[in-house]
Amino acid sequence: MTDKIFDVDSVTLRFGGVVSLNDVSLHQNRGEILAVIGPNGAGKTSLFNSLTGVYQPQEGTITFLGRDAKPISIIGKKAHRVSSAGVARTFQASRMFSALTAFENVKIGAESHRGIGVLGAMLKGPATRKGEKASDAKTVELLDFVGLTDRANVISASLSYGDRRRLEIARGLATDPQVLLLDEPAAGTNPSEKVQLTELIRKVRDEMGVSILLIEHDMKLVMSLAERLYVLNFGSVIAQGTPAEIRANDAVIEAYLGASADETKGA
Amino acid sequence: MKTFLNNSMVRRFMMAAAVLAVVAVMTGPAGSTETPTAGFTGSFSERSSFFGFFETVRWVPFLFLAVVFFGLWTTWLARGTQIKSGVSKVMAVPRAATERRPVRWGIGAVLLFVALILPHVISDPFWQAAMVEQIAVYVLLAIGLNVVVGFAGLLDLGFVAFYAIGAYVTAWVTGALPMPPLFGIHMDPFFAIPIAILIVMAAGIVLGVPTLRLRGDYLAIVTLGFGEIITIFANNLYGITGGSQGSSLIPHFSLHIGPIKYAWGLTPVPYYYLTLIFVVLFLAAFSLLEHSRVGRAWTAIREDEVAAESVGINPLKYKVMAFAIGASTAGFAGVVTASQSNNIFPSSFTLSFSINILVLVIFGGMGSIFGVVLGALIIQTGSMYLLHTPPAGYQSSDLYIYLGALLVVMMIFRPAGLVPSRRRRREIVLSKAGEGHPDEVLTGDEP
Repeated sequence: MTDKIFDVDSVTLRFGGVVSLNDVSLHQNRGEILAVIGPNGAGKTSLFNSLTGVYQPQEGTITFLGRDAKPISIIGKKAHRVSSAGVARTFQASRMFSALTAFENVKIGAESHRGIGVLGAMLKGPATRKGEKASDAKTVELLDFVGLTDRANVISASLSYGDRRRLEIARGLATDPQVLLLDEPAAGTNPSEKVQLTELIRKVRDEMGVSILLIEHDMKLVMSLAERLYVLNFGSVIAQGTPAEIRANDAVIEAYLGASADETKGA
Repeated sequence: MKTFLNNSMVRRFMMAAAVLAVVAVMTGPAGSTETPTAGFTGSFSERSSFFGFFETVRWVPFLFLAVVFFGLWTTWLARGTQIKSGVSKVMAVPRAATERRPVRWGIGAVLLFVALILPHVISDPFWQAAMVEQIAVYVLLAIGLNVVVGFAGLLDLGFVAFYAIGAYVTAWVTGALPMPPLFGIHMDPFFAIPIAILIVMAAGIVLGVPTLRLRGDYLAIVTLGFGEIITIFANNLYGITGGSQGSSLIPHFSLHIGPIKYAWGLTPVPYYYLTLIFVVLFLAAFSLLEHSRVGRAWTAIREDEVAAESVGINPLKYKVMAFAIGASTAGFAGVVTASQSNNIFPSSFTLSFSINILVLVIFGGMGSIFGVVLGALIIQTGSMYLLHTPPAGYQSSDLYIYLGALLVVMMIFRPAGLVPSRRRRREIVLSKAGEGHPDEVLTGDEP
């Protein structure tokens, strides 16, 4: 049996009468680049929000096997606890701390898991100085890793879309995650930025050993990057498999084109 | 018609005229029950001198001032307030903190020197007392509220509650309340400092944990209610607080450590230096806090709470902490005031007190420690000046009209305050340009 990192079992998420996720079951293996695709409104971002503790599904279980493969139940945990457990994420419309510099953005991620230590901060004792140095070093390293070293002191709101995506990835990685959830990382980026982003995502997995869970509309990017895919439509999983299997799947084609493959052939 | 109103010059002139009309009414004659509108009409029709040159009706000099004001606004003040130039300005690569440090230390040293020699320069007893009771203590309160409002972005309208608790704890531990003091010992007010800070922090946490889940306006209402509750308790719990008569037996501070013996008394100057020591200590602690990981976490929460949570920041914990830290300075200020004036009355702990402190913070620049200190100095000195040498027709309750008008003008011209904090100013300019989330304290919007 392969080593799982995420195990989602029959999760149902409702908002009043609207069913956003309907009996969704899926899993991710450790070290895998997994993608979730589907038309708009299929429930992809709802799934992400359920995996990160932002939404609380009414039914089902979500188990995260983080550090030391210790199983942790995500449902019922607050978002900051999920982050401490080792799940990092980026947002569909990137959510930077826009008035802070790129450096500060990443540093906030690097230091958030240490204790608060107000007294230490007010007196600036040796432990606080040491902590500052460690987070600075980590921030420098991560900015270099995503290729933003020369933009470190730029206010994050003035970064290009591509650079913001990289910055969000660096901020997520600063929290020492086991898995990184990327919500449409290629949205709003130009073709050359897309290529760089693909390389970066692969590098995160290969060099840092962080598993990647990806939502994306850009099929070229998904098919070249993902090792396995799940397809969501109207809140349910309608298909799963390798990129080649998904390309040939009738249900997927129907979900995207709005008519069954047979009907299309017949007409 | 629409194009006429959209013309920015016309709008500016209208606004300048409106501001000066308000000033005219504020400084004009008062009405009476027989002639309720006389205060308004008289403000424009009464005869007055045109800056000492000739006699005319009042609206003429005010119209003249409106024109001058409009001229200044369009030429000089408007620079930098346009969003476009504002954005490029705040987007500039910030200078490293180390570059600014010598300048800041220099200004700080000069200000400290001035503060140290000031009581020897000013001998007027009114001003010597005002320097402690109305200026130094208010500076302390303002830097405390700045942690809550400026750093953490929480609108607290009940700050007076913590100040009142601090004052009542002092009365309690020194044995000046009907309630017997702690362990039955009448302690020196110095011992009240740690006890008051602990109790006030506990009160901040007890109030904070359930209410800080609320956002913006809701939090403001709850804290406002808390401030009122404390005052009503103080007023009505006769057996504990002494009711509406309060307490008049609180002793002065005194030191007895080995050979050192010193007692503070009725003269305000020793109290001034005592307060100054604590102001400097709190200033140093809070500026280190601002640039620590705690300060950055507060900024992150203020800007985007969802994103902050996604990197592992617990917003509730940090908000409660800001609340408790801010409360502790108010508690400390309460100890100093109670001991210095020897008496406390529930009627002095009012909503307008909280509003006064909030005005100092907003005027000075939310989140900017230097700005808040400067704002508190300017406003409190100004209001003491009005009290000391009142212009014709001025009553002490008029102060809030002036403070309100000042806030309106500030919100139009410098919404980030007199000396804006860099982060705050960026947030405001960026949110105007549709980038990022405006702060809930200013807009009431949910982020």
